[in-house]
Amino acid sequence: MWVIIYYIFCYLIFGYTMLLMASYMYLVIMSHKAQARLGINIPDDETIKYFLQGSPLTPAVSIIAPAFNEEVTILDNVYSLMQIDYPDYEIIIVNDASTDRTMELLINEFKLVEVPYDIAMRVQSKPIKRVLKSTEEKYSKLVVVDKEHGGKKADGSNAGINVCSNKYFVCTDVDCIIEPMALYRMMWLVVNSHRPMIGVSATMLMSNGCIVEDGRVVEAAVPDTLIPMFQQMEYLRSFLISKLGWSSINALPNISGGFGLFDTDVAVKSGGYDPTSMAEDVDMLLRMVTYMKNTGQEFRLAQVPKICCWTEGPGSVKSIYRQRVRWARGLFEIISNHRKLFFNPHYGPIGAFTLPYIFIFEFIAPILEMTGFFFMVWLILIGGVNWDTAIILFGMIYVFSVFMAFFVLYFDYSAKAVNWHNTRVSYLKLLMVTLLEPFLYHPIITYCSIVGYWRFISNQTAVWKPIQRQGVKKKKS
Amino acid sequence: MRTVSIFKYYFNLIIAYGTYYLEYAIGIFADYPPEIKVAVSVTVMCIVLIIVMGFALLFLSRKNKKIMKVQNRLEEKYGKGMDFMLSADAQKLMSKQEIAAVFGVEKDAIGKEILKNNREKQTFVHLFYMRFITERSDYANRENITTLLYLFGIPEFLEKEVSLRSMKHKVEAMSKIRTFKLPVSPWVINKLLSSKYLRVQRLAMYSNIMLSSDSDLDYFETDFFDKHCCIKDEIELAYSLQRRRRAGRKLPNLARWANLQKNERSQCMFVRLMRRFDELEYCSELTELYKTQTRRKKLIEEISRTWGYLHYTEGEPLLIDALLIQPDDTKVAIMHALTRFATGNGLDALLEGYTNTTNPHVRFEALRCMYNYGDLGRTKFLELERDAREEDRKFFDFFNNPITIEKIGLDKEQAYHPSVETVYNA
Repeated sequence: MWVIIYYIFCYLIFGYTMLLMASYMYLVIMSHKAQARLGINIPDDETIKYFLQGSPLTPAVSIIAPAFNEEVTILDNVYSLMQIDYPDYEIIIVNDASTDRTMELLINEFKLVEVPYDIAMRVQSKPIKRVLKSTEEKYSKLVVVDKEHGGKKADGSNAGINVCSNKYFVCTDVDCIIEPMALYRMMWLVVNSHRPMIGVSATMLMSNGCIVEDGRVVEAAVPDTLIPMFQQMEYLRSFLISKLGWSSINALPNISGGFGLFDTDVAVKSGGYDPTSMAEDVDMLLRMVTYMKNTGQEFRLAQVPKICCWTEGPGSVKSIYRQRVRWARGLFEIISNHRKLFFNPHYGPIGAFTLPYIFIFEFIAPILEMTGFFFMVWLILIGGVNWDTAIILFGMIYVFSVFMAFFVLYFDYSAKAVNWHNTRVSYLKLLMVTLLEPFLYHPIITYCSIVGYWRFISNQTAVWKPIQRQGVKKKKS
Repeated sequence: MRTVSIFKYYFNLIIAYGTYYLEYAIGIFADYPPEIKVAVSVTVMCIVLIIVMGFALLFLSRKNKKIMKVQNRLEEKYGKGMDFMLSADAQKLMSKQEIAAVFGVEKDAIGKEILKNNREKQTFVHLFYMRFITERSDYANRENITTLLYLFGIPEFLEKEVSLRSMKHKVEAMSKIRTFKLPVSPWVINKLLSSKYLRVQRLAMYSNIMLSSDSDLDYFETDFFDKHCCIKDEIELAYSLQRRRRAGRKLPNLARWANLQKNERSQCMFVRLMRRFDELEYCSELTELYKTQTRRKKLIEEISRTWGYLHYTEGEPLLIDALLIQPDDTKVAIMHALTRFATGNGLDALLEGYTNTTNPHVRFEALRCMYNYGDLGRTKFLELERDAREEDRKFFDFFNNPITIEKIGLDKEQAYHPSVETVYNA
């Protein structure tokens, strides 16, 4: 009896692995197809700029950046946001009742004064105390919202949505370094879409290791330390294969909170961000999709295959542990809150494919991996391992992961997704971390996921602790 | 012939070896369980793909290097000349010889092939195009640029690219032709109009709008835009219509096109274009749409705006009737239109719009419209301000602040409207 159970379990795991690899291959093919199509449809940045800058029909965008106790970097960050190249945009900085000098610095630097504002509380947020604008013409794009403390980025973003006056808004973190052409790259997808575009996801990478000058990344490089290096590869894989692949069948599951563009009207009608959620970005997107599907409207979600934003990632095991536990908890929450969408073709390819994929291969995988690990230990102890078979199976998975890394780099090179300062060195570093990833990084992530799930099940209070920033390399101009 | 037979020989050899080793491998793994067979097959496939991608990376890198080499050579040779052509010094009309002298081309070479091959031509036009679009030079003399491109054989090259090469090349070449405003043979455009690629078809169509006579615009009388219609189409159409208008050709009846579309999005696009091109004479043709398509709120908004911008006062009674039954967003568009008429008939409707709703956005917009509704409206506005309740006071504060005063004009598009002319003139 036990032998039969043992065989069934082993073959189930084997089948699961093969299915997972097949789905990765599917995403590889889809992203390749999407890239080939976008290669034709997306011209170079200068052409996009020439086209959009000269037209009065180019849609306006609001950039919303919530800030809490950012006195060290706030001015640099606002200046960096002002350097974005786009004909019509406003910057909304939402001060979430900072206890340091954030507000004071903003007021003094940009000569801000309180203005009456047409605030309709379209989405739920803590009350807005005042809205400030600059008295100087050169800062006319800047709007600062001073609100009561909400404690979550989602609350700040909602306050920004209440103030924003444009058809599209971009949500970002105040410490993100945005590529000057990012808005053009995103809006190009919007103006080219035959269906109303409700969200555009931007490619984001780690700024750790990059050289920054006057709020811009001037030398893109792979981080020097191991943890951010692993994440760099992970982000490249996620944005260039996974998200691009899903976007090609209009099934993008997530638009990152770090830098994503949304249709204001649809976001408002879907209720905006949920401040109680641990995965507010996925949550809002799924509510937007639900709203569009329930009201019978067509929509499109897209992924930009070029770098748009740089963010500083966790640099230590402790920081990444915190971040990934939160993400795992968020994933569990999404599965629990949006369960009616899963395996439901009424919600289009997202309900029929993406969410089932997330459930089977992202949510269950850590549980299976952990079970498999203990099972293997038990088998070793009782001497039940067929080592030849084990090595061949492990070899297959390992070679497949190297293949995925190669594909990402090939994709990056052919699509010119990132303009690396030294392509050869960067690629070598990334290949090197790929070889180490299954042994060093993946077990940590699996452990974090299990802890996150446990915290969700045991209903432990979620505490949001900001990641410890180490700062990026700066070059003096 | 010899090359072909050598190729065949090696091809057969590879197939023979491949078949032998495949059978050998199948023989070895014949007795193994299926999971081992699958694992080995996947591993071998991944290794082959890794090797292929490695070679592809090398190939791409070599190709890029070659392109860079040609680019650097042409940049060194003609870069300064290109800069000169886009500078203030090249404003006066220049002859072919003068331009040739600027680029260091010998007199004997004029009329001959200056650039050796297609790669050089492609690189040359790319370098000049990038300069042209990034600098957006106001000084550039268009005729000089056309002469320069003819000197280097670029128009013929682009026409060949458009008619012979892949979709990507077709699109790129067509964009360059449009940017440099080069003349294209009608047969090329006709060929592209029947292309299987939608994008190519549309680019050809836009060029056709610019160049063709009035009777050649029949393709709009189909549901072409019903299938696919995006903001870019609107931008391109606006650009083409603008060029047509500046060339002194008659503009088509856009209201008729709007009536022919079934899709709300494309209907809205044509209605918007109507107001951008001041087609007041065709506004009456939208009445039927306004009366029958009452559930298409975006369309009703666009028609209301268009009537307002173009002062089609015959539509005012329809707008007044629709004001109280339409949803909030549409109400705002109608109120703005009534404000633009400023005939006095719509003031009561605006007042009702203010009092009969709890939506703060609509209330604010109604006030904004009254504020902009000439003397009559301003008087009403002041009355309301005097009697305003405490919770409504914030609306009125907005109108009295020097920083926000810029926002109290009518909606943003008002500013865009006349600038269609100026933007495309550049």
